[in-house]
Formats: sequence, C-alpha cells, structure tokens
Amino acid sequence: MIEIALQKELTAADGIMKLDVDLRIQQGHLVTLFGDSGAGKTSILRMIAGLMIPDDGQINVNGSNWMDVKKGISLKPQQRRVGFLFQNYALFPNMTVQENLTYALEKGQDKKIVDELIETIELGDLQNRKPGTLSGGQNQRVALARALVRKPEILMLDEPLSALDTKMRMKLQDFILTVHKRYNLTTILVSHDANEVIKMSDEVFFLEGGKIIKHGKPVDVFASKRVSGKFQLFGEIINIEKQDIIYVVTVLIGANIVKVIADESEADSMSIGDKVIVASKAFNPLIRKIEE
Amino acid sequence: MNILKGNINSLNTSGRLTIVTLDVSGFSLKSIIIENPETVTYLRIGNPIQVMFKETEVVVGKGSDIAVSLDNRIDGVITEITKGVLLSSLIIDTKAGKIKATLTSESVTKLDLQPGEPVTALVKTTEIMLSE
Repeated sequence: MIEIALQKELTAADGIMKLDVDLRIQQGHLVTLFGDSGAGKTSILRMIAGLMIPDDGQINVNGSNWMDVKKGISLKPQQRRVGFLFQNYALFPNMTVQENLTYALEKGQDKKIVDELIETIELGDLQNRKPGTLSGGQNQRVALARALVRKPEILMLDEPLSALDTKMRMKLQDFILTVHKRYNLTTILVSHDANEVIKMSDEVFFLEGGKIIKHGKPVDVFASKRVSGKFQLFGEIINIEKQDIIYVVTVLIGANIVKVIADESEADSMSIGDKVIVASKAFNPLIRKIEE
Repeated sequence: MNILKGNINSLNTSGRLTIVTLDVSGFSLKSIIIENPETVTYLRIGNPIQVMFKETEVVVGKGSDIAVSLDNRIDGVITEITKGVLLSSLIIDTKAGKIKATLTSESVTKLDLQPGEPVTALVKTTEIMLSE
C-alpha cells in the first residue's frame, strides 16, 4: 500500500491554489490522475519523486517512510525508488539506446536488467542507434525502458503519450501495461484522455483545483449511470461540418472514427478537440458477425 | 436532442428490462431501458426525470386516430419549418415544451406541413433515453 497525504500552496495562473490530497494506492495497481491542466497532477508526481517539498504531509511506500514533514523526514530524490516518464524523453543524444540504458544503472547493479528490458520493450533492432535517428514513439519506448532500469517501486508517467499519434499511443499503452504487470509496479499515470484512462487504469482520481473530487473505477467515474443509454463512448471531436440543414460531427473514439448527427444548436456549442460522450440506446445499433 | 421533463408514473419490470411509463405535462410516454429499480436509484415512482430523444427519431403525424404501433404521441402545433434540399427541420410547440423533428423535405411536401398546423409527434419506446 502506498499512502500519500500532501498539502501545499501552489501558485496557479489565477492566484494561489491550495493542493490538498489523500491518495491510497494498492501495490501493483495502475492509477490515473485525471483533470484539467493546473489541477495539481504534475505537482503531486513531483512531490512523490522528492522534486518538490510539500507544506505538510506524509508519503509511506509499502511500509517505508519516504517523507513526513512533521517528523522532518524527507528522502532525497535519488533515494526514492521511482521511475519517471515525461512527454519529453530527454535521452542523451550522443549515446546509443543501449548506452542510454546502461548509463542509468546503479553502481554495481547487474547489467542483465538492460538486456531484459531491451527484449521486453522490443528495442533489439534499435539498441545501437542514437535517439536522433528514432521516431518519437521509439524514443518514448527507450525512455520507458530507462525509467525501469533501477527497478522502481513506483512508475510515474506524466502524459507520456500525448505527443504521439493514435497508433503509436496504443502500442506504447500496451508496452506500459506489459511492464507494469511483469515488474509488479505500482504505476501512477497522468492523462487527459478518458479512453486511455479506461483502458489502462484500475482506479482514477479526478482532480479539480488541487482536490480530489471523485475517485473509483474508471468506468464508474466516467460512464454516466444517470443516463439510461447503454452505449456510451468517450471521444474527441475531430471535425464538424454542415450538410444540408444538419451537422455531421466526426468523433475519434480510441482508434475508431464515428460520425454523429447534431442539430444546429448542439453544433454551435461544440468545437474541434472537445471531449464528448456519444450515447445511444442498446436497442439501436445493429450487430453482426464479421465474415472471415 | 429533445429534452422534456417528466415524472415516473409506473414501472413494469421483467428481469433486467423495465418499461417506464412517464407523465410529461399530461402526456403519457413510455421508454424501455436495460435497468431495473435494483440497478439504478432513479427508477422510483414519482421521481422527476429527463426524457431525451433525438430529433431525427421523431415521426410527425397529421390528422386524428393515426393507426401505427408507436406508443408515444405528443400533440402540438408546428411553429417553424426550415427547409433544406434533402432534410427539413420542424419545431412543434406542445404542452410538454418545444419538440424538434428532422424529416425529409419530401415528406414535408407530401404531407403539406405548414406552420400553424396541428400535428402529433410520435417516438418509439426504444428511442427514448432517460436521465436524472
């Protein structure tokens, strides 16, 4: 069990924000911090990593005390067993993939883990190349491997996939899930994407203005039980066009694109990039087997 | 989307399915949903509820005694017609509120629908969604 209680006054865009959160995360779970930018998600990760000091609080990781403000305990960042993956992968450009990973080893640590990670994250063909010759998705896989070299207790992912295209994002999501299970990690993901949250996490914490306003299983938190429609999908608007007197709204749902008809007043309130729920009754969609 | 306000009048449950009868400003509307009073808390007789259906799912009938299988019938008067090439949008003023309907322009012409005309908006039981 990882128990985190943090309080800190943060300077936000529109004044002072008081971050006040209590998180209990079961060992081996993958949880998501979900919320708008400025809600305090990244600050929480930074305080867990020891890169930011809270005004008050404690962090207890599987029985060991990482931080307790009242008792004056605070492990240095390098003493905390965390792996970090950001949107910017910050690999050493002058080193090969393999050298980047080896460089992350602790003094005296068995090099075996590097080979194992290269195999698990399928970096074999890339291991002698330098980051500059790799795609964004490939570099992000290298950064994921590097974050795991020291066998962290907590893997923290700060919107690592938001700069990638859908296909690459899905592939990396699968790699993250693989290593999360294989190394029995406790993983904290920061994400804006409801589909990603539903696919990846055991639990989601919904943050607003520095507070957790909801938490639970992703499907319970996102799917509205208050609407009877059984066909609820989360997506992002990628196009809106007027056809005759109606509007055709194109929505990206996971890797699928669907089109939904909207009327003028609905279309007027929507813009490209908006997150939407597409709802229908279970009675309406046709279902048929795909012929081989 | 059309959203009307109503109250739950009666519940007819069989396993996971329930036909909910609603009172919407004096009109009796029905919706079938895959829920029962044990799976959701909003299914209580007397509870206020929102009744939602898409404008493209509204059938417009003219005259009295329309013999079709649709349970849900709301009488009103057309207040506005916007004609497009293929589709037309109607606004029907009813005691339950304004209802939008999207029909083919051809059927608007065929039925000779005009503003001021009394009509009935019809919706299938399987097309009505409920929300708290």
